[in-house]
Amino acid sequence: MRRLPLEGIRVVDLTMMWAGPYATHLLGEMGAEVIKIESPRAWDNVRTLFPIPGPEPWNASFYFNDYNREKKSLTLDLAQPRGRELFLALVSRSDAVIENYRADVLDRLGIGWDALRAARPDVILVSMAGFGKTGADRELVGFGPIVEQMAGLTSLTGYGDDGVPYKTGISYGDPVAGTAAAGALVLALIQRRRTGRGACIDLAQREVMAEMLGEAFVAASLRGEEPVHRGNRDARFAPQGVYPCQGKEQWLALSVRSDAEWRALCGVIGAPELAGLTAAERRVRHDELDAALERWTRTQDAAAAQDALQARRIPAARMLDSDSVHWDPHLLARDAWDFLRHPRMQPYPQPVPAWRLLEANPRPRRPAPLFGEHNREILCGLLGVAEAELAELAAAGVIGDAPVGAGVG
Amino acid sequence: MRVLEIGGGIPAAFAARFLAGFGADVARSEGAADALTSDEEAALLAGKRRIAVPAERLRALALAADVVVEDGRPGALAALGLDPHALRAEKPALVLASLTPFGQTGPQAHCEATNLVAHAAGGILSLTGARERPPLANGANQAWKLLGLHGFAASVTAWFGALVSGEGDWIDLSAQECAAGLLEFYGPRSAVDGLPGQRLGNRTTAIWGIYRCLDGFAGVCSLQRQAQALFEGMGDPELREPRFLDPLARMKDDKELAARVERFFADRKKAELLALGLRTKVPFGAVLTPKELLESESLAERGFFDEVPTPGGVARVPGRPCLGLGWRAGGLSAPAADSEAVLRDWLGGAP
Repeated sequence: MRRLPLEGIRVVDLTMMWAGPYATHLLGEMGAEVIKIESPRAWDNVRTLFPIPGPEPWNASFYFNDYNREKKSLTLDLAQPRGRELFLALVSRSDAVIENYRADVLDRLGIGWDALRAARPDVILVSMAGFGKTGADRELVGFGPIVEQMAGLTSLTGYGDDGVPYKTGISYGDPVAGTAAAGALVLALIQRRRTGRGACIDLAQREVMAEMLGEAFVAASLRGEEPVHRGNRDARFAPQGVYPCQGKEQWLALSVRSDAEWRALCGVIGAPELAGLTAAERRVRHDELDAALERWTRTQDAAAAQDALQARRIPAARMLDSDSVHWDPHLLARDAWDFLRHPRMQPYPQPVPAWRLLEANPRPRRPAPLFGEHNREILCGLLGVAEAELAELAAAGVIGDAPVGAGVG
Repeated sequence: MRVLEIGGGIPAAFAARFLAGFGADVARSEGAADALTSDEEAALLAGKRRIAVPAERLRALALAADVVVEDGRPGALAALGLDPHALRAEKPALVLASLTPFGQTGPQAHCEATNLVAHAAGGILSLTGARERPPLANGANQAWKLLGLHGFAASVTAWFGALVSGEGDWIDLSAQECAAGLLEFYGPRSAVDGLPGQRLGNRTTAIWGIYRCLDGFAGVCSLQRQAQALFEGMGDPELREPRFLDPLARMKDDKELAARVERFFADRKKAELLALGLRTKVPFGAVLTPKELLESESLAERGFFDEVPTPGGVARVPGRPCLGLGWRAGGLSAPAADSEAVLRDWLGGAP
């Protein structure tokens, strides 16, 4: 069997919520050994954000499970000296540390860059605070939607008739930052391989998000342009939109890129009188064309409409939602979901690695870890802690197998 | 590190943009002339060399590269004489990253797509926009950018593997799958209960949303552990009542709470709300425009923007995505301007 690219790399994961865990999830999928550290008193909130009633809700969160697969769980209270000592011992045997605390937290815990480097001189640290570790905004706190607002993307999104900017429907800033952080960590591994040096990477989630709208900064800097809300329209393709189909919340997205596609579309919707419109005319009469398209789509099954348009090489897709995406024939044919077993949850479809390395073929291997599941393995097996000390550590609250005082959120 | 970018659209150009900035020698084989707007070119092509060479030379360049990033249709690379399997057999350490809307296989692999169409297929569209209005695409071609971002990270990861083991890989990345696997809480919840997530506009709850303020729009995203600090910061004594402090009870009075938050935001400016966030450690944000961000003191201190000379003047574009790794800004080359130099540097002899 082909090895995965990050096999043999150990990553100490201090991240919580979504941005950081998404990064380490990607690294784990690529073969890295990811050791997720939570404190019995300060656990990853996602474990308890939407609890399912039961004896151990923190171990049965499908939200947590989806983004924390391929990781091991070690509990350590880093506010206690013995917790920090064990943490640094783990760092000395690891390649990288990644964290998404607020900018000042790592130093205040006494495990900042200097302490990490003392434990392992060529260590790689990836810090991914919302606004970075330097600069006037460094102390601001942010989750994905805040990052999206503060990076400019929200200002670009809107229907256009009400002046209201809209956020993306998911906390989009999180997986965007997470993906970039995973890439940055691997770049640092490549650099270390060449130079023998570690790296201290300061990745601001806001900045990565701003990378996703580079052309808007060009327009603003060259011509002073302000955001224009186009709804679902496009400056190049007309018409373009998302149109309602038969059934509740069934929609068809389509774009017309050329006169030929427009003529073909007019044939499908039975509007030959519109077929001769040029692109410029289509842009001017977009409202009227939207109405004509909607008259047709409202009589159509979305999937059948997609097929009818694609048969004529017109870009179109039925909109998938968070449920139908799991049953989409194309994704099923690509084996995009896996019913990985979890000791506390019923099986349900979970995404396979989106990075399809066709030869190494990464597949889901382990579900998200139970809280403290790998304490013994890591503390005794890797760090040489005596079995007898485990009970002492548990009694002192340095480690634990359940969050202390877990409620909601 | 040598990177050959083939295809010319946003996904491949975005994936290779970071690689160029971090120091790779990126040669971009031009696609269609209108594949990118001039603004997209300024944002995505700085620091790259631009080439136009015959197919047999392109194949030789691919074999001289460490990573090939392409965003043509499935089969397009093979049609150019660059069959990925053959290239991999000839150079086992080579990494190929193929970025497409729907992937290399499956019944929709050959379907036509634009950014909007790919976005619709990935699920994020269904969750964005107002409940009573159509789904809304977010700005700036995010389906393509997200695909490109994954293309960057996956390529460097596979290349690291190649450095260690000598074995590269062919990466099949689809815009649809890059999105479908990150539907936050909604994806796994729907997988369990079979109910699709709904569009919630700008507010998931009263304390997780965007509101109109005196000089635009601003937002707050408070977890339960931050709720008390938020309510104290708002200075509304009634918010100390258990019906607001208790997370489950609060759901019942969410509309009333939203009205109170709305009134609070309406009387304040973005800067005041951000200052309140600093003071209370509650995540507050402001909806900032690119123009406002170009003036950001914090981004300036961090040296975020690069300057790229263009025919229309000097553009300011997002530069390095992180501090701590070397970065070079790079200029904008003319189409095909670097063909001879790249052939000479990569293949050693005369072009």
